[in-house]
Parts: sequence; structure tokens; C-alpha cells
Amino acid sequence: MYDLLQRFQNMDRRWIFAGMALAILIPLLFPVEFEFAVDERVSSLYDAVEALPTGSTVFISADFDPASRPELEPFFRANLDHLFRKDIKIVMATLWEFAPPIAVPITEEIAAAHGKEYGVDWVFLGYKPGKELAIKSIGENIPKTFPTDSRGTPVGEIAVMNGIKQAKDFPLLINVSAGFPGTREYVLQIQGQYDLKIASACTAVSGPDYIPFYKAGQLVGLSAGMPGSAQYEKLVWAESEPPKGTRKLATQAVNVLNLGHAYVILLILFGNIAYFLTRPKEVSDD
Amino acid sequence: MRSTVPLIITFFVGLFMVFEFFIPHWGYHWVTAEFLEWGLILAAGAFVLGLINLVQVNLPKVINRDEDWGYKLIMLISLFLTLGAGLMLGQEGRQDAGEFYKWLYDFVFTPLNATMFALLAFYIASAAFRAFRARNVEATVLLVAACVVMVARVPLGENLPFIGEKLPQFMNWIMDVPNIAARRSIFIGAALGAVATGLRVILGLERSHLGGE
Repeated sequence: MYDLLQRFQNMDRRWIFAGMALAILIPLLFPVEFEFAVDERVSSLYDAVEALPTGSTVFISADFDPASRPELEPFFRANLDHLFRKDIKIVMATLWEFAPPIAVPITEEIAAAHGKEYGVDWVFLGYKPGKELAIKSIGENIPKTFPTDSRGTPVGEIAVMNGIKQAKDFPLLINVSAGFPGTREYVLQIQGQYDLKIASACTAVSGPDYIPFYKAGQLVGLSAGMPGSAQYEKLVWAESEPPKGTRKLATQAVNVLNLGHAYVILLILFGNIAYFLTRPKEVSDD
Repeated sequence: MRSTVPLIITFFVGLFMVFEFFIPHWGYHWVTAEFLEWGLILAAGAFVLGLINLVQVNLPKVINRDEDWGYKLIMLISLFLTLGAGLMLGQEGRQDAGEFYKWLYDFVFTPLNATMFALLAFYIASAAFRAFRARNVEATVLLVAACVVMVARVPLGENLPFIGEKLPQFMNWIMDVPNIAARRSIFIGAALGAVATGLRVILGLERSHLGGE
């Protein structure tokens, strides 16, 4: 028995990898849907968007990449649908060089589904290097930070930019954040100075870092990882269906995570059982 | 002289940018906006420096057939292929789905980037099995908290019999109380450290950014 447990503890890690692959594949092939509740942080984010008056303009900083896309794209899609259906205009930019090829086609698709026009209802100002400097500059002077949009049109000629000078001209700033630079930098650089309302959708791994900002009132809402995106989808599409071409991606994916998380917990549990059953003999050998 | 002038510039610019936070005058902000624009231009220029540095470091290793020269060659080819495609196609062309640049992004970069991140799930599973042991009280507390958060974060946790209702509440307590207490203390400590470092740079006590010393 002792040898068996020792062998179990030292098993080839490829067996663990194979188990993880199965834990992801099985629920993908045979989906099981569990009900889930909405977290207070996500409902606050939803309420912040709901409270925006029709015709107002929000700023979205789409700071994510292909690696974080599965976690953040569902939120991004649901959020765009939420904003457009409330006739809220969008000014979008990014601090991540890998974001434009993801964020722009999705926004074009959802804007088209709502009959929204580029330049009038939304605009993409493009990518800006400089990290914290760029954030500080967005807080200070947006036309100076982005003299043209991503298509080369001067911001002065873009209808949706009328009356927009700096970050505090937006009633809400939404940061879809996969890491650095992202929500933490927005809060540190400009939230306090300009008393901005910032909502954040971040990856699961960043969530615990941003909860203190939410609790301190520096964020008006927070959606963390796939579960956060699924909860936001649940709120946005409670009484309506997603626009054409969009599925409830996070709602499907969060149920796939069930078995993956359970698998890791079982590994920890069995690993510890084996460790404790074999430990006394190791001690006596010494 | 070579270090005195940069120190004087650092002192005045540093103080000017600190006071910007407390002086809400348009004229003052006009000047700080100019400084920020200079900073953004310098940040964009850093990409060119990065390019030169990558070539300087890797090209000699490829020429001399040093260790892993093959990987460095692939890196340099990828670098110039992407750069060349981006420069030739221009701003409009880079967003065109039919063009080579977009193809590189969609079918080379995206799968590679996503694969690297997805591999984490496998390594986390392996590391959890091998290293996550309840060896002492602290490790046991960490282990229990991790398991509670992991199971309560997914719908499965809420649907467990008997404990399903309480589990998310317990998870929220972990996230809102001990987690926040620890994070805040780390944030405050790091912020005080940043203030101290900033002051040292402004006052010229910290000179490593000038090179040497």
C-alpha cells in the first residue's frame, strides 16, 4: 500500500494533464447547465450602466489580448450590446497593442446589429503606447492623447467626440482589463484625481487585486473572470436574446469550468491523503 | 556637469508633476499636458530602441551559431516579417481581413498566445497535486481557502447539497475580509515605497536612471 501511494504521488505528470484535458472536454461534449447567482459586484456594474442617461457617452478602454479573450470577450460583447441598446455612445481606445484586431471587429459587428454608425454612435481612437503616461494623458486631455481616430480622422471632425475633452467628461469609464496596464493603473493614475466613475471587467487572476478598489468605492462595479462575465450575460440578456452572431459564451464556458475546478480540488485532496499516509514511514526511516 | 543638468531637470519636472495633482489651474494643466505628450512620444520611441536592442543582442548569436541560435533566427525572421507586412500595408491594410498582416495575427499570433495561457490550466493541476500540501497550519489555512474559493467560484459550488447555499457567502467573506486586509497592507506598503523612491529620484539621491553609481 505504501509503495502504491508513493508511486501515486510520483506519477508521470502527463497522466495529470490527460485528466485535465478530459475534465475540460467532457463538459464541452456533454454540457450540463447549473443555475448560478449574480454577485453584488457584477450587479453594481450592471446598475451603473443602467443608470446612464440615454444619449450619454462612455469611454471603454479595451485592454486585452488573445490569451485573455475567452474570459473577457463574453463580457465585452454583452457590455457593448447593453450600451448600444440603451442608445449610449461609445468612445473606445486601448493601451494594449494586441487588442485592436479583436476589439474593433466585435464592436463593428454589434454596432451593425443595432444599426449604429461609426463616428456618430461610436469611435475607436486606437492604440496608445506609454502605459501609465497614456492613462494620465487620457485623464488630462483626450484630443491631445489621440489627435485622430484609428482611421486617421481628426477627433475634431468626429461627431461622437463633440464636447469631450478629458476623462471626467464621461459619466462612466469601463476598463476591460487583462493585466498591466489596466484597472489598477486607471485607479491609481486618474480615478482619485478626477473623481471618475470606473467599472472594471478583469481576468479571474486579477479579481482579488481589484476587490479593495471596489470596496473603497474607487470602482463602481467589478466583473472578474469567466464567472463574472457569465453573471453579466445573465443580467443583460435576462429578458432578451443576444444580438445575431453572439452567443452566451461565458454562460456555456462557466459550466465547463465546473469539472476542471473539481478535478484540481480532487488532485489536492488525494495528493494530501497520500502525503499524510506515507509521511510517518518517511519520518521513521530518517 | 553631465549628471548635474539631468538631476536639476529631474528635480524641477518631478516636483512640477507632483504639484499638478494639487493645483487645478488650467494653465498649470496645459503645461503638464505638454510634458505628458513628450512622455508619450518618448514611450513610442522606446519601441524603436527595443527593435535595435533585439537585433543587437540576437543577430550576433545567430551569426556565431551560439546556443539556441535557431530560436533566435525564428524570432528575428518573425520580427521583420510582421514589421515589413505592417509597414507595407499601412493603417487601413493592417485591419483588412484578407491581408497578410491580419492573417499573421489571426492564424499565428492568436493561437500561440492563447495556447501559452491555456497551458497554465495543466501546469496548475500538476503543481496543485505535487506542491499543495497541508504541511503546517498556515499551509492548511491557505489550502482550505483556495479550495473553498475554487469550488464556490463556479456554479457547481452553489448547487452542492447542504453547503451550496453557504459556500458563496463563505467565499465572499474570504475575498472581502482577509483578502482585502492583506491586499490593502501590501498596496499601502508598495505605495509608501514608491513615494520614497520617487522622492529619492527627485532629490537626486537615487541616480541609477542616469547610468552607473
